[in-house]
Amino acid sequence: MSRVKKGIKPFLFILFLLFIFIVGYRNLEYNWQWYRVKPYLFVFENGVLTKGLLLEGLFITLKISSFGLVFSFIIGFVSALARLSTSPVLKALSWIYVETIRNTPLLIQIFLIYFVISPVFDISAFSSAIIALSLFEGAYSSEIIRSGIINIPKGQYEAAQSIGLSVPAIYLKIIIPQMLRQTLPMLAGQSVSLIKDSALVSTISIFDLTMQGQRIVSETFLTFEIWFTVALCYLIITAGLSFIIRQFENRLKFVNQ
Amino acid sequence: MKRLLSVVVMFSLILMGTVSAQESVIEKIQKQGVIRVGMSTFVPWAMKDKQGKLVGFEIDVARKLAQDMGVKIEFVPTAWSGIIPALLTGKFDVIIGGMGITPERNLKVNFSMPYEYSGMSMVAHKQKAQGFSSVEDFNKKDVRIAVRMGTTAEQATRKYMPKATLKLFENESQALQELSLGRVHAVVSSAPMPVFHALKFPDKLFVPLKENFTKEPIGFAVRKGDHDALNYFNNWIINMDAQGFLKERTAYWFESKKWEDLVK
Amino acid sequence: MSNKPVLRFGLIDAAAVIVVAVAVSVFFSRVSSVLDYHWNWDAIPSYFFFWDESAGKFTANILVKGFLTTLKLSVWSTVLGFFLGTLSGIMGAKGSFEQRFVSRTYVETIRNIPSLVLVIIFYYFVSSQFLDVLYLDRWLRQSSPEVQSVINFFFSGPDRINSFISAVIALGIYEGAYVSEIVRGGIIAIPHGQWEASWSIGLSRSKAFRLVILPQTFRRVAFPLAGQFISTIKDSAIVSVISIQELTFQGMEVMAATFLTFEVWVTITLLYFVLTFSFSRSVAFLENKYALKQ
Repeated sequence: MSRVKKGIKPFLFILFLLFIFIVGYRNLEYNWQWYRVKPYLFVFENGVLTKGLLLEGLFITLKISSFGLVFSFIIGFVSALARLSTSPVLKALSWIYVETIRNTPLLIQIFLIYFVISPVFDISAFSSAIIALSLFEGAYSSEIIRSGIINIPKGQYEAAQSIGLSVPAIYLKIIIPQMLRQTLPMLAGQSVSLIKDSALVSTISIFDLTMQGQRIVSETFLTFEIWFTVALCYLIITAGLSFIIRQFENRLKFVNQ
Repeated sequence: MKRLLSVVVMFSLILMGTVSAQESVIEKIQKQGVIRVGMSTFVPWAMKDKQGKLVGFEIDVARKLAQDMGVKIEFVPTAWSGIIPALLTGKFDVIIGGMGITPERNLKVNFSMPYEYSGMSMVAHKQKAQGFSSVEDFNKKDVRIAVRMGTTAEQATRKYMPKATLKLFENESQALQELSLGRVHAVVSSAPMPVFHALKFPDKLFVPLKENFTKEPIGFAVRKGDHDALNYFNNWIINMDAQGFLKERTAYWFESKKWEDLVK
Repeated sequence: MSNKPVLRFGLIDAAAVIVVAVAVSVFFSRVSSVLDYHWNWDAIPSYFFFWDESAGKFTANILVKGFLTTLKLSVWSTVLGFFLGTLSGIMGAKGSFEQRFVSRTYVETIRNIPSLVLVIIFYYFVSSQFLDVLYLDRWLRQSSPEVQSVINFFFSGPDRINSFISAVIALGIYEGAYVSEIVRGGIIAIPHGQWEASWSIGLSRSKAFRLVILPQTFRRVAFPLAGQFISTIKDSAIVSVISIQELTFQGMEVMAATFLTFEVWVTITLLYFVLTFSFSRSVAFLENKYALKQ
C-alpha cells in the first residue's frame, strides 16, 4: 500500500507541474503561432534545403564557441604554468588575471573589451567576442589545469628527471597526458559553459543564436515561440555534448582500471 | 494539510483563468489609483537627469495624463525590443514611449490617434562618410549603420538602405558609441536626437541629410480590444492638442536645447 | 614539485615587466592619439552621490542605488536558490525514481540553457502568469508608509516590486540548479557507515536523514554554497536585459547620459570587482580556518 502511495505522489507532482504549464499556456491570452517558427529554422524550396536565420545564428554560436574553446585552453594552460613557475612577476600576473576575471561578470567584461579595449587596438566585434570569451573561460580552465598539475605525484618528476628527460619533454610526455586524463571531465564541463556563455555576445551585435532570436522577436513579436525554440536549440547542443562527454569519460575510466 | 494546500493552489489557478476576464484598463487604473506606463530611454523623449529622475517629452505627457485622471504615475523602464511583449503580458497599462504607429505593431496592439509626429534622421561620421549627402550614398554594401534593435529606425533602414550592413544594439547609447569610435558610418534614429548629437560633437560628426527621410505618427499603445481606453486616450489627445499643451512641450523638448542643463 | 618553490627575480621577470609596461603605455597613447578620447573622471562621482539642495544633504544617485539593488537581488535569489536547490538536491540524492527524475530534469534543463535566454523566458512567461495575479504591487501601494519603507529597504519600492520579484525568481531558479548539485554531492559523499550507525541506534530512515546526515551535509557544502552566492552576484548582471535597475543597467543609463564610455565601464568593473573579491577572499579565509580537513 505505502509503496503504491509513494509511486503516486511524484506522479501527481509531475501532473501538477503539467497542469500549471497548461493553465499558463492557455490562460496567457496569447495567440500561439507555432507554424510561423519553421521558416526561421530552415526553408525547403524546390528540393533545396536552405537554413533559416535561427540556424544561421546557431552556426555563429558554434563557431565562436569552438574558437573560444581552443584559445581558452591555450590561455588556461599558459597561465597555469605561469602560476606554478618560480618567477614572481609571472606568478603575480597570472594571479591578477585569474582573480580579475573570476570576480567580475562576463557581461561587463564583454562590454569593457568591446567598448574600451578593442577600439584602441582596432579589433573587430567578432574577434572581441572570441577574446572576451576565451579570456573568461581561460581563467576557469587555468584553475582546473593548475589543480591537475599539482595533483601529479612528485615522484613522476623525479622519475622523469632520473631517466634524463629534458624539461619540455617531461611536460609533453609525462605531465600533460596525466593532467589531461585527470581534468578532462571538468574541462569538458567548461566547454558546455562556454557554449552557454556565448549567448552574451549578442549584446555587442554578433548575430549568434540569441541575437537572431531577439531580432526575430522584435520584428514579429512571436515572443514565446521563438524563445522556446532558441532554448531548445541550446538544450539540444549542450545536452548532446554532455552526453558525448559522459560516454567518453566512461571509456576513459574503463581504460584506467 | 499538504493536500489542503495543493487544493487551494489549484483552485486559485483555476480562478486565475476567470478573473482575467475583460475589464477596461481605465477602470483598473482608477481602482488602483495608479497608471503604469511602459517606456524606454530615448533622448529627448525620455531620459534620466543628473539626479536620476526621469525627464523628457513623453514623461511630461504621461505626467499630465496621470494628473488629469487624478491618479499617481509609475514608469516601467523596459528594453525596447521587448516592450510590446511586456505590454501584452500586463507589465504595464499603456506604452507612452515615442512609439511609431506601424502596421506590423498594429497587428499586436491598438494605437491611439497620433499625438506627435516624428521622422527618421541620421548622424554620420565625418571621416568615414565623407561626402555622403543622400540616402543612396548610404545604400551600399560596405556601409555600416548602427540602429537600436526593434525600433522603427531599424525598419526604415532596412527599407531605404537595404544593401547597407546593419549593426543592432539594445541601447541607443551603444549605437552612438559605435559611431563616435568610427566603427560604423552612421546611426539612424528618430528626430531630433541625431541632429542634437551632431551638434554636441561637431568636429567628429555631421548630419548628412537635410531633412528627415520618413515621417511617422506617434501614438499610445494599449492591449487589443479595449475600446474604453482608446476612446479616453483619443479624446485626451484631442483636448491637449486644442489647449496647446502638446505644441508647447514639443517646442521645449524638440526645438530648443534649454533642457540640456538638466542632463549634463 | 617542491612544496615551497623559491621565488627568484630573473630574466623572464624583467622581460614580463617590460612587456606589460609597453602594452599599458601603448594603450594609453593610442587612446589619446588614435581615438582622440578626452578623459573626464570629474563627472563620475556625482553619479554616486549628489548634493540635494532641497534636502540640504548628500543623496545617493543611480550608481549607489544600482549597487544596492545588485546586492539585494543576489541575497534574495541565493535564499530562494538555497531552498529550491536543497529540496532538489535531497530529492536527487535520496528520493524515489520519480523524485530523482524531477530533480534531474530541473537541474539538466537549467544547466544546459544560457542564463540570458532563461531570464528572458522567465520574465515574460512565468512571472506574468503567476506573479501579477498576486497583486503584490497593489497591496504594497495601499499599505502604510512604514511598511512601504521597510519593504523598500529589503526589496524594492511598489513601482518595481513585480519586476524585482520576477528577477529574484528567475535568478533563484537558475542558481537553485547549481545548489542542487552541490547538495546532492554533499549527501552522496557522507559515508554509508553514518546511515548504518544511526539505524543501529534505532533511528528511523527520515530521522537518520534529518538528524545525522543533513547536518553533516550542510557542514560539508557551506563553503561551496558561499561560492555560489558570489556567482549569483556576477550572474545578476544579466537581469539588466529585462530592465531591472541594478548596477549594469544603471551603468548603461549613465553612459547614455554622458557618453563617458571608458570611465563608466571601468568604474562599473571596479565596483563588481570590489564586491565579489572582498566576498571571495573572506570565504577563502574562513574556509582555511574552519573547513573540514579530510
